Amino acid sequence: MLRIENLTKVYPTGTVALKDVSFQVEDGEFLVVIGLSGSGKSTLLRCINRLIEPTSGRILWDDIDITAANAQQLRLIRRQIGMVFQQFNLVKRSKVITNVLSGRLGYANPWASLLGIWSHEDRQRAMQALERVGIADKANNRADALSGGQQQRVGIARALMQEPRLILADEPVASLDPVLAHSILQYLEALNRTDGVTVICSLHFLDLVHRYATRVVALKDGVKVFEGLPKEIDRARFKEIYGEEAEEVRATAVEVG
Amino acid sequence: MSVNQAVSSPKAARSPLVAALLSLVIPGLGQAWQGHLARGGGVFAVVVSALATTIWYGHATWYIIPAALWLWNVWDCLRMPAGAPAWAAAILWLSMAYGIGWQVTEINLLALAQNGERAASILRPMMRPDFITKRQNRTQYSVRVQVPCSTNPPRAQATINGVTITASPDCVTVGENILVTARGLQPNFPTEVTWVTPTGGVIMLGENNAKMLTLNSDEQGNLTVMFTVPTGIQASEEFVQDYRIALTQVETLPGYEISPNGRYILQGIYETLALALLATALGAVLALPISFLAARNLMGGNPLTYSIYVLARTFLNIFRSIEALILAIIFVIIVGLGPFPGMLALTVHTTAALGKLYSEVIEGIDPGPIEAVRATGANWAQIVRFAVIPQIVPSFTALTIYRWDINVRSSTTIGFVGGGGIGFFLWQWILLGDYRAVSASFITIAVVVIIMDFFSAQLRAQLH
Repeated sequence: MLRIENLTKVYPTGTVALKDVSFQVEDGEFLVVIGLSGSGKSTLLRCINRLIEPTSGRILWDDIDITAANAQQLRLIRRQIGMVFQQFNLVKRSKVITNVLSGRLGYANPWASLLGIWSHEDRQRAMQALERVGIADKANNRADALSGGQQQRVGIARALMQEPRLILADEPVASLDPVLAHSILQYLEALNRTDGVTVICSLHFLDLVHRYATRVVALKDGVKVFEGLPKEIDRARFKEIYGEEAEEVRATAVEVG
Repeated sequence: MSVNQAVSSPKAARSPLVAALLSLVIPGLGQAWQGHLARGGGVFAVVVSALATTIWYGHATWYIIPAALWLWNVWDCLRMPAGAPAWAAAILWLSMAYGIGWQVTEINLLALAQNGERAASILRPMMRPDFITKRQNRTQYSVRVQVPCSTNPPRAQATINGVTITASPDCVTVGENILVTARGLQPNFPTEVTWVTPTGGVIMLGENNAKMLTLNSDEQGNLTVMFTVPTGIQASEEFVQDYRIALTQVETLPGYEISPNGRYILQGIYETLALALLATALGAVLALPISFLAARNLMGGNPLTYSIYVLARTFLNIFRSIEALILAIIFVIIVGLGPFPGMLALTVHTTAALGKLYSEVIEGIDPGPIEAVRATGANWAQIVRFAVIPQIVPSFTALTIYRWDINVRSSTTIGFVGGGGIGFFLWQWILLGDYRAVSASFITIAVVVIIMDFFSAQLRAQLH
């Protein structure tokens, strides 16, 4: 169970990205964070694995205080938290397999990994991860030779290498063609359903929220304005979260199986 | 804009005439009084800088410019709030700066055309670069002569390969005449006569000892010549030394070979390429660790690393600002003449220049992969290895190749101060006035630079 308590983040520029945000995530949930661009979704996700240092507040994960962990403890916590990014964040010039293996760095022998030496198990694990997202045949291609959707699948394979208990997905489909959104989210859903991985995912499109979320947290200007089930977001709530001028746009007209 | 106007409009109501009078006393004061503080300061700076420049230069005609600017400043006040056109002031100021600059630099375009004679004396030999020469067969015969006479001097006669040379008297002192007869030379053939010092230095015997004395042997292969023993060669009155009189016959053979100067050029360009290569390689190796310390995105994390970053940056900036040529002068003093000081100078300069460029590459990389690898629980070294290095390798390689290119060119000038390579020879030839060798060096350098440029461009194109 992940408990966010009174989380606040103020950037050095004075921008208040998060203001006193608290909520809980039970194990096995698919929690979706919604809100306008700049509402604090990315900051919230990055505070959980402390890619961004919170200004105040606590984050407790099964009673481990992530916010109090030292550098060594933090690396051990981070390696159990997979992360998927809007821009995929692959090393474009490296091979797909190298990108996937880099997900294993938290477990690998530090010296061997610096020399690029990986154990046989790790290599097998990387191939299995690529098979799971359906691009094992691309293992030796350069990452930038792949399409956007394929690159995001590499990103998921990299997260799989961490054997994560929690996956943070920061707008994983926002840079993709809308028709690819479901294919990516279905991989996350499968991880959530079959492997029991908790997923915290920020999303833009409401129809995707309704389709995948088990629960929703909405942010507006860094403040939590809604927490509840997806079906509770009606027109009035929608206007509340996104403002009076907002109109709902659907990610896809066609539901993919 | 609307805010500005709201603030300044009550002040703009102040009389333009009073403002103009104020500006007449002190440029810019009127504008400031009207509330246009920045404009007032700017006008003051423009007028005062123009005045200071003309006073410093001290030519009366140029005072017209600050005077005109002063008037422009008054006009500016009268036309507030729109003000006088700024371009008028700009043209006045720039024409002064450019005009005085022209005179200070003593630009004299006519000088380029006036000294046609001098130019021709350089350009004519340069049209015939001394790189290859007709194949020659040099035969030299010589005889020993004592300077000054010992108590019992040996006979000054020698026979080599059937050629007998006799000098008379057997020993001489400086300034005396000496008669040389030779028999058995190749008949009807130009023969160079030279005076050779005990250390092997060759002194020419033509006009003022500045030209080669060349005589033809007669039909029987005999040659007789009388000359004065050159002044200024005698070590001391008592110390007896063996000098030699040398007769050289140069036979031209069919075909061509690389001339002696051409061989120096080849040796020089080889040295230049080698020292540039070594300096680049060593400089790149040294620049690598420094560049990581001088990259803001890696070092900006906490006050300690940030202060290391500032130190590294300062170090790079200081050494980059010193020309390799200046460094070479210093290293020549420390380690002596030759390619080694040149290499040291280039290495230091390359380290600083590449360190700066490398660190800029590091600062420009995509932060996304770094974030992603950090999120996997990787440590700092692993982040650098997996997220930073793959992103920077192509740019680093391209920059290093480009630097080698630059170093080849700058190592030619480093030779001028004794740093070895072709520049060292080139400098000697310029001093000696051997413009045929100079032009041959120019051509060789140009060819090498063009070839290097071509290949480095090809290589860099492959990397992206």
